[in-house]
Amino acid sequence: MPGATAMIAAGLGAGLAGWWLAARRRPARREPGTHRAARRLNEASALLGLSVMADSGLEHFRGEYHNRAMFAAPSVSGIQIGASALGAVSDPARWSTPHHAVQVASAATGVSGLAFHLWNVLRRPGGLSWQNLFYGAPVGAPFALTLAGTVGAAAEHVRGADPHHTRLLGRPAGPALAAGAAFGLGGTVAEAWLLHLRGAFHNPLMWLPVTVPPVTAALLARAAFVGRGRMPVTRRMLEATAALGFAGSAFHAFGVARNMGGWRNWSQNIQSGPPLPAPPSFTGMALAGLAALEMMEARNARD
Amino acid sequence: MSRVRRHADNPAHALPGDDPEHEPRARHGRAPDVMRLGGWTPMREHGEDEPVDFVIVGTGAGGGTLAAKLAEYGFSVVAMDAGPYWRPLEDFASDEMHQSKLYWTDDRIVDGENPLQLGANNSGKSVGGSTVHFAMVSLRFRPEWFKSRTLLGYGTDWPVDWREMWRYYDEVERVLAISGPLTYPWGPKRPRYPYRAHELNAAARVLARGAEAMGIAWTESPIATLSAPRGLAPPCVYRGFCTSGCSTNAKQSVLNTWLVRALAAGAEIRDLAMVGQVETGADGRATGVRYHREGRWRFQRARNVVVAGYAIETPRLLLNSASARHPDGLANSSGLVGRYLTVQANQAVWGTSAEEIRSYKAPPSLAISEHWNYEDHGKDYHGGWCYMAQGPLPTLWSSTLATGHDLWGDALVAEMQNYNHSVGLKNVGEYMPQARNGVTLADETDQYGLPIARVTYSWCDNDRAQNAHARAFMGEALAAADVRDIWEQTNDTCHLNGTCRMGDDPCTSVVDADCRSWDVDNLWVCDGSVFPTVGGVNPSLTIQAIACRTADRIRDMAARGELDRRARPPARERAR
Ligand SMILES: Cc1cc2nc3c(=O)[nH]c(=O)nc-3n(C[C@H](O)[C@H](O)[C@H](O)COP(=O)(O)OP(=O)(O)OC[C@H]3O[C@@H](n4cnc5c(N)ncnc54)[C@H](O)[C@@H]3O)c2cc1C
Ligand code: SF4
Repeated sequence: MPGATAMIAAGLGAGLAGWWLAARRRPARREPGTHRAARRLNEASALLGLSVMADSGLEHFRGEYHNRAMFAAPSVSGIQIGASALGAVSDPARWSTPHHAVQVASAATGVSGLAFHLWNVLRRPGGLSWQNLFYGAPVGAPFALTLAGTVGAAAEHVRGADPHHTRLLGRPAGPALAAGAAFGLGGTVAEAWLLHLRGAFHNPLMWLPVTVPPVTAALLARAAFVGRGRMPVTRRMLEATAALGFAGSAFHAFGVARNMGGWRNWSQNIQSGPPLPAPPSFTGMALAGLAALEMMEARNARD
Repeated sequence: MSRVRRHADNPAHALPGDDPEHEPRARHGRAPDVMRLGGWTPMREHGEDEPVDFVIVGTGAGGGTLAAKLAEYGFSVVAMDAGPYWRPLEDFASDEMHQSKLYWTDDRIVDGENPLQLGANNSGKSVGGSTVHFAMVSLRFRPEWFKSRTLLGYGTDWPVDWREMWRYYDEVERVLAISGPLTYPWGPKRPRYPYRAHELNAAARVLARGAEAMGIAWTESPIATLSAPRGLAPPCVYRGFCTSGCSTNAKQSVLNTWLVRALAAGAEIRDLAMVGQVETGADGRATGVRYHREGRWRFQRARNVVVAGYAIETPRLLLNSASARHPDGLANSSGLVGRYLTVQANQAVWGTSAEEIRSYKAPPSLAISEHWNYEDHGKDYHGGWCYMAQGPLPTLWSSTLATGHDLWGDALVAEMQNYNHSVGLKNVGEYMPQARNGVTLADETDQYGLPIARVTYSWCDNDRAQNAHARAFMGEALAAADVRDIWEQTNDTCHLNGTCRMGDDPCTSVVDADCRSWDVDNLWVCDGSVFPTVGGVNPSLTIQAIACRTADRIRDMAARGELDRRARPPARERAR
């Protein structure tokens, strides 16, 4: 246990410190919109990374790191958090290249994790079955690392771009990011749905992450394609989704308490209970969505 | 931790201050709240001279379920059990030997060509009955079995329709929050199980691999232990002590489900209350029960008596209740009380796996194949069987090796070293009801001075043919899963049914479809003894479904004023 505890504590510490720094650093003068967006995206990316690091650290500890590759997710995400946290607080230019490399590597690690997990599921008796989707390596989980890396990489692109014609992958950056964030939210919802289905939605609150974020994702996707002017409803939903991510961890803490021995038996129950670090990935995606929305609104205001 | 003394598995548990095996716990207006350490729940009490609507003898799958439902329908209910009122959180230790306190181990005589092994594997003595230490596998009958004579050409038809039973199965599965697969491979469509299936343990994965290699379907066993929290009950911790009593309350036994409801609805439960006779009046109707509690014999008056002591104690009680008016025992004008005892096959194959199995991990039977329940071709016998993964704890395993594999001394010790790699498959198979198998009274008496049961059992050729097929098939399946050194265990059986069979005809059955005795219209039997046939699945879900149905029927009969007198005289009386 000490290993995982230390890792989670370190991760949480790093994340909170990054956040605090980022939040504290109010721009002295009006900063360009691109910088502001980059900072936001880096915050989102750091939070996603944090969720991945703690979650994979815990789950892979539970799996006794029986395969060395299992060290990849917690360690890569650890580095990734550092890069994003730095990106969120420090002078952009100096960091851009290594930052970018780290983010791309994280995204790639996520993709290979996805393949690993899928292989783990398929080789079990029963193959692609509910039993294996529920209890095999969670197929969607590594996707969060891909999201973290992608959002982090996008942050650097945006920072370096022309503030008036910011583009990503050849498209206007705001809508492109919004579409990406909507897609990422969708993936996160799918993961929550699978695991909450495994828990038989035994608590009605378990419906929240499979009802609120999908609406948010739909609004965000709509904003990406046909958004005009200011979009207050979408913004509110993104904020609600961001809050839900943190609330989810609190609900999960309650879920841990409902296991045999409750929090007194924490060393077992944080492994067998609902994953404490997973829900903030909703917050991470919602923050990325908010950054995208801001960019779109700014552009709409200019047009 | 030093402030509390350790007893059961949760380190916060203190030793209970009382001794539930010698001092009743349910009295003075309160009963144990089994969900809370040291908790109590208020309990309505009834005077012995006050005739209650229903006295129920036995609080297991049949009696406990009925007590809850009848109390909820507004009847006054006193449910008695000879066993203690356990507090699982406090009284259950991780010790197989200690936990034998859950079994009915009073003297019984066994004979016949294949004498049954009684005790651990088939009868409990606890408030909550055998479900306190059952293995939780919760299966529905194949619909055709309710009409096996008509549709499949063997046994006897049940007097109930499968579609009606299907609705009661739904109810029981919800009450027990059964964890099961999202889709079930066999039989007509059923609703989604309330909770999701558990993760397979290594023993279950062996079953899965074997079934896949044999080209037949398998699935996760629907099982009465939680895969997610529920109320005050935590999800299963996979500690594997299920058949020695679950100390977490994850297991949804009658003790922590139906009986909690029964108390809340105003039923009274009397623990350590051994019923010796059902007494009858001059009109031949039941007047109440004579029972032993707190050191003396007592009498509880009742308008109706329900006997739910399981397939040995139920006929024993009815036979022990003989009177001048009922010289052959109560409800026995057909001569069938105690007859047609039908157990189920429990044939096994075992072997050694290269991978670690660790049988103590998780509930024992997490995977199942009902293939041979639904496939009628390729059999030279009647009846179906299913087979399941196994998880014997070390003491049980050593006795299996000694009695089923003839190992002793050094050989036994050596084989026990292999415990973590031992793996097997065991079936639950449908034996044929035979009139010669049954329960009679012996001359010997028990600690209460009551004549004890003589239990006679012999296999018929059909049973033996099924055993052979099951062992051969399971052996192949085990080998196909790369298990080596396979051997067969042929000496086991499980579950007790029959002995007070239900039917449409008073000449060939003891009770009607409503579990009401043909002879004494305020006497009911509601437990595993009413089964005319046993099917190839474990019985508890069906027993509970029958109890739910009986409760609904009683409610309806009461509403029509038919409880005090049978609406129509039974066929035989009409014929006279
Ligand atoms: C080890 C084991 C594993 C099992 N596994 C499964 C399984 O996985 N799935 C399944 O469906 N079934 C299983 N069963 C079978 C299941 O538990 C029984 O079929 C079921 O509990 C029987 O219900 P019942 O109401 O007929 O009797 P019981 O549940 O046995 O209840 C009878 C109660 O009556 C009491 N009693 C008897 N006579 C008297 C008397 N004269 N006075 C007062 N009280 C009396 C007894 O003390 C007992 O508590 C298992 C049983 C055992 C023992
Ligand atoms: S394995 Fe689960 S059901 Fe069995 S005793 Fe343990 S907690 Fe109870």
